Amino acid sequence: MSNQNNRYRMQLICWTIVAIGCFGRYTPCLGQLDLHSEGYFQERIQPILAAKCWSCHGPKVQKSSYRLDVRSIAFGGGDQGEPPIVPGRTDASLILKYVSDLNSELAMPPKDSQQPRLTEAEVASLAEWISAGAVWPDSASAAMENPLDWWSFKPMHKATLPNAESNPIDAFVKAKLSDNALTMSPPADPLTLARRLYFDLIGLPPTPEELDTFERSSHVDAEAALDQLVEKLLNMPQYGERWARHWLDVVHYGDTHGYDKDKPRPNAWPYRDYVIRALNEDKPYARFIEEQIAGDILWPSTRDGIEALGFVAAGPWDFIGHAEVAESKTDGKIARHLDRDDMVSNTIGSFCSVTVHCAQCHQHKFDPISQEDYYRLHAVFSALDRTDRKYHRDETHQMRFLTLERVKSETDLALNQIEEPLKRLAGEEYSTLTKRIENAKKATDKNANKGAEFGYHSAISSKQDDEKWVQVDLGKKGDVDRVSLFPCYDDFNAIGAGFGFPVRFKVEISDDPEFENGVIPFLGRSDDTTTADVKNPGLLPMAIHGDREGGKAGRFVRVTASKLASRNHDFIFALAELQVFDRSDTNVALGREVTAMDSIEAAPRWRKTNLTDGIFPAQTNGDVKETLVQERDLLILKLADDATKNRRQQLLATKKQIEADLKKLPEPSLVYSGGIHSGSGTFAGTGAMGGKPRPIFLLVRGQVTQPAAEMFPGTLSALQFRPSVFSLSPEHPEGERRVALAQWITDPANPLTWRSIVNRVWQYHFGRGFVDTPNDLGHNGSLPTHPELLDWLAVDFRDSGGSLKRLHRMIVTSATYKQSSMSNADGEKLDSSNAMLWRQNRRRLEAEAIRDSVLAVSGTLDKTMGGPGWQDFVVEHPEHSPHYEYDLADPEDAKTWRRSIYRFIVRSQTQPWMTSLDCADPSMRVDKRNESLSAIQALALLNNGFMLTQAKHFAERVMRESDDVADQVDTAHRLALGFAPSESRRIQLIDFARMNGMPYLCRVLFNLNAFTFVD
Amino acid sequence: MQSRRSFLTDSGGGLGSIALASLLTCDGELHASDSPAKNGDAIGLHHPAKAKRVVHFFMSGAASHIDLFDYKPELVKRHGQASDFGEPVEAFQNGLGPWLKPVWDFRPYGDCGKMLSDTVAPLGLVADDIAFVHNMVSKSGVHSAATLLQATGFLVPGFPGAGCWISYGLGTVNENLPTFVVLPDHRGFGSNGVKNWDSAFLSAQHAGTIIYPGRSEPIADLFPHKAGTFVTKQGERRSQELMVELNREHAATRAGDSRLEGRIRSYELAAKMQLAAPEALDFTNESATAMKLYGLELGPQAWEKEINAEEETYHFGQKCLAARRLLERGVRFVQIWSGNDNGFPRRNWDSHEDVQRDHGPLAMGMARGCSAFIQDLKQRGMLEDTLILWTTEFGRMPSSQGGKGRDHNPFVFTNWLCGGGIQGGMTYGESDAWGYKPLDRSNPTQVYDIHATILHQLGLDHTKLTFRNNGIDRRLTDVHGRVVQELLA
Repeated sequence: MSNQNNRYRMQLICWTIVAIGCFGRYTPCLGQLDLHSEGYFQERIQPILAAKCWSCHGPKVQKSSYRLDVRSIAFGGGDQGEPPIVPGRTDASLILKYVSDLNSELAMPPKDSQQPRLTEAEVASLAEWISAGAVWPDSASAAMENPLDWWSFKPMHKATLPNAESNPIDAFVKAKLSDNALTMSPPADPLTLARRLYFDLIGLPPTPEELDTFERSSHVDAEAALDQLVEKLLNMPQYGERWARHWLDVVHYGDTHGYDKDKPRPNAWPYRDYVIRALNEDKPYARFIEEQIAGDILWPSTRDGIEALGFVAAGPWDFIGHAEVAESKTDGKIARHLDRDDMVSNTIGSFCSVTVHCAQCHQHKFDPISQEDYYRLHAVFSALDRTDRKYHRDETHQMRFLTLERVKSETDLALNQIEEPLKRLAGEEYSTLTKRIENAKKATDKNANKGAEFGYHSAISSKQDDEKWVQVDLGKKGDVDRVSLFPCYDDFNAIGAGFGFPVRFKVEISDDPEFENGVIPFLGRSDDTTTADVKNPGLLPMAIHGDREGGKAGRFVRVTASKLASRNHDFIFALAELQVFDRSDTNVALGREVTAMDSIEAAPRWRKTNLTDGIFPAQTNGDVKETLVQERDLLILKLADDATKNRRQQLLATKKQIEADLKKLPEPSLVYSGGIHSGSGTFAGTGAMGGKPRPIFLLVRGQVTQPAAEMFPGTLSALQFRPSVFSLSPEHPEGERRVALAQWITDPANPLTWRSIVNRVWQYHFGRGFVDTPNDLGHNGSLPTHPELLDWLAVDFRDSGGSLKRLHRMIVTSATYKQSSMSNADGEKLDSSNAMLWRQNRRRLEAEAIRDSVLAVSGTLDKTMGGPGWQDFVVEHPEHSPHYEYDLADPEDAKTWRRSIYRFIVRSQTQPWMTSLDCADPSMRVDKRNESLSAIQALALLNNGFMLTQAKHFAERVMRESDDVADQVDTAHRLALGFAPSESRRIQLIDFARMNGMPYLCRVLFNLNAFTFVD
Repeated sequence: MQSRRSFLTDSGGGLGSIALASLLTCDGELHASDSPAKNGDAIGLHHPAKAKRVVHFFMSGAASHIDLFDYKPELVKRHGQASDFGEPVEAFQNGLGPWLKPVWDFRPYGDCGKMLSDTVAPLGLVADDIAFVHNMVSKSGVHSAATLLQATGFLVPGFPGAGCWISYGLGTVNENLPTFVVLPDHRGFGSNGVKNWDSAFLSAQHAGTIIYPGRSEPIADLFPHKAGTFVTKQGERRSQELMVELNREHAATRAGDSRLEGRIRSYELAAKMQLAAPEALDFTNESATAMKLYGLELGPQAWEKEINAEEETYHFGQKCLAARRLLERGVRFVQIWSGNDNGFPRRNWDSHEDVQRDHGPLAMGMARGCSAFIQDLKQRGMLEDTLILWTTEFGRMPSSQGGKGRDHNPFVFTNWLCGGGIQGGMTYGESDAWGYKPLDRSNPTQVYDIHATILHQLGLDHTKLTFRNNGIDRRLTDVHGRVVQELLA
């Protein structure tokens, strides 16, 4: 791209020379008009533009968004970015180049157009006019349509209700229907209504008993029964699970990065759980927004304040573009720019429903969003990357943690201030040592195993406090001086050195191989590894000496781990080598027989015999690194005066103390979120600069190689309810930028925020929003079907504390919602798309609801909430580019029978079965699910292992409940479809079940339209 | 229980027989597609089409233009000298070692005398049918972004693959088979996995359907999973009948909802696909000559563990023959992948360490398959309306990396096209003397131009094939693209 830019400049220079020559020869007749007068433009210039240019760049057509009838655009430029007319500067006014240089790619009118070219005299006039200052009077500039003159950018207005309906929704909907000679459909029958409500609010089907209860109470008092049911459903934890899925569609949540290699994000799920919790707690919507953008600043001590930031990091991340390409390279710049674009689009798109990403290369073509606005929004996020963030769920711990972290970073900063000048003084010697230290570090980071024989590895345990032991038989009883434990190395889960080394353990010696009699503990008195956690030794061997009296005697030496090492949501015990030294310093364990409580025995890497094979990973260069660090310390201390030395000493002591204090806190939790990344090497983040935001420049045509003016944090400038360029102190911490944006979004006067969410909620209840493009309320979106109602609800929602549950209640208890979904002739004739809501819409269940329903009716649904996602794939080649193999998963794995919201969502290899059912693509911000029908989808529902397995469980369930086939058929039908079969149908189904078996019938029920569609 | 496949395809009864009856009435030949497509939401043609179908070969990992197609005598001359690009170069892994001559010798082929590397020699037989584009440029030197760019026209995931757009634009010819088929590398997916061909904001029916020729279940869920121990031939027929009856009853009381009937029909089509797909992928009736042409005469063997030409030839040839059979049966767009992820040992074209080791076998297998495919289509008269595109995400540097390898070169690379109204035996656009950048840096060819040209040949105007998503009328060609008239016959 930079080439293109250079080329441009070159051509411009050449052209200027040509043009000057050209004007030299011609002396255009100026007549009596003053070049600087307003009249000159109208008399001489506008006619040229109108005749030669307007057909493509005028009132009717605006190619490249450029027009020569509106002054601001004529001067400012269209898509191309550069200003075509610069008053007083013929050399910089590109328009002259376009109209005069026939050979240019951008020759205007284009070479192949029918439009006659400008005459040389006309070009000269244009040049003269520009040279004289390009005076263009207001009166000769076409009035632009004001892009702010659009419903969603105007303040909300709560209209008075058009009639006396008790539910405001019905008031507006009925008024509109009657204006169009339509009437509401009758209410759906209680069973239909109940089924609709269950799916709508909790995403699961009602049980036959629940239906019976509701039907009975409806006959007594329909309204009370409905209120009661709605209350019950809104208070079920499954409500949050159902509605969190909608929100995660919008914010494109996933559990892997996507792109090349597609690495997993093991700590993304706390954000998913936050959303579920927030919805179940009916968190005020403004708070919900602010937490997701700036929770760490506004509510730093709360769990929600931190976990909510998963929002910023929810979308995909280009691992290679960040981790393997430096920010200084063009590709690195592009990767980081696109990454921030995702944060910006996700924030404004999700909360405000406008398409700010359209202003990346040029002003938004339709909405009042400038390119500056877009890059100001980049500046809001420019300190952030996507990274795991440490936090404590417990508020006290979190506060302590934050304090310590703050002091730590202050100390680091102070240390840095002392050391920086010394480092500079030390010059090259310092940098050489640093380089050597880096290399030494790398050497230890590499796989240190000498061969394929890693060591002994216990069976995998789900609990950390399971006990595991391994022991060696020395062959005969003897005196033992000391025992050495050698840690393992394994890259699994990026653990590396110290893999599997127990957190707490004991070493014992005995003559009894069962260690029941005569057991002598083999531990020094001071280092009690049984009651305090042991620091992972990396690859350093850990020697356990005998007590003061000297050694112990016995034939068997046993190491028992009482607190296992963490691996990946599970726990193990592994050791590379166990050495037992006698008094003559001979390793008497070498080659001896090993037994263990359990062992994974995966030769050659892992097997018991590896424990005494003499092969273990060596700490390469580790000690060298320490020496080098010392050497470097000495080097700079030599250059310091005493006061500095003392100060440094104090700071180091403080740092050590803080680190010790931090260790006293429990292990922090992690959430993958937007945050300051403190990496090194190619992907550095802003951590090293104390989280100082990266400078952001407006990029001409969106090209990272063409930075223009620096942009400071702000937002959409056309909306004036609140300052759009944030006033922040010069040294403000980056978080203040996010706070400012969050508060701009949640400002009660923001015309977009409240409409956006109400429209989204409406869509999930009716299958279609007032605005059918919920991510776009701008000019390119559709117009609201019921603008007054949308505004009424938006204002009401805002003013009543932003309670989503209140909004649901108002909607689902309305007559509008309760209508039957059956069609009628009048409605079809006058409003076939049902935009005016003369009936309820029949809805097809989403992938998740189908899957959850299958589990629910089969009686296999595990309702456990929260935690890491379940995985219905097997990972192959995890070390480089994980292959997520869904085919290899076992559909009988009960761990996968939890609700679909807890599914581990892979971006590059989306779950094929869910995808065939139009599941949301986690790489896209999905405001509305597609609804497709295809043979592939039918095959998935018929033949997938999940469906066939569950058909069997469903059959087992109904057969457990009764021995009578008729009853079984009845139960199955009612469970799956919500109603009992007719008498004749029952006979037919019994016949089918007798002939083909109950699982077959269950599979048929799962595949029926009545299962997938909700009336 | 009999094999899942055989019980459906065996004659006599079963779901298969119902399907077969209707299959016979509409299968067999490619339906004329000059008229707008049958499918309801298809866009239809903007102008008369020259091509009816597309085959897209994608070499994942970045195939070296310098070692395969773009002959650079200057590099031979300067082999081993310190590389000098005359300007600072940002290479992905700083692979700017000495100039490295092509790993294989080049020879002229065909009437056009096109110089081709020995490792793609089989393509020499069809050199006069191919148009090479040597001045392709990418916008990224990162595999994932660059692969997405070539596959979807955008650097980030979330956009439909080219085949999806064509399905969306033209609809389906044979509903019993998917419109857009993807034949992945037998080792697994390349960068971005399914994001290169899924439908994104377009409806799911336009997504690329993955087919693995040679596997017992070539399409996911085509046959009941082994957990379905209760499934029988009679049961399939009876349950299909029962479902139709129950669904019809359900639909009858819900007039005016076409989705209900549509879903009933999707089950009929599913049954037909259970027959049509295995039939399309069954090579038993292929002549010995054809099998030999594609290098399939020996069948699968016990191959070496290391990547080798014989194995590559077999797998690639199998995909090419499957592609021909699918095209004959009305599939519109087939995408064939060579190369898995960028892991080790190398299993794709990302030859940072050793071009000969990886490119050698991969290129030989590819060239053999592509050449056979082109010859076969030509014999059958299908080449004139089948447009073939061969591409990769970017090229490789003319300088060496670690002696025998080459680093990424997003600044220039090679594509070639063939058939479907493309002028054969020509070269359009040149790279510079080293194959480092386009010779004319101000007029490179981009994927937008290639996509615009393909759509044009299919009768579609790339500026009019749009779909509105999140406020933008999206196009395969974004806001770019020029139909490369020079490439057209």
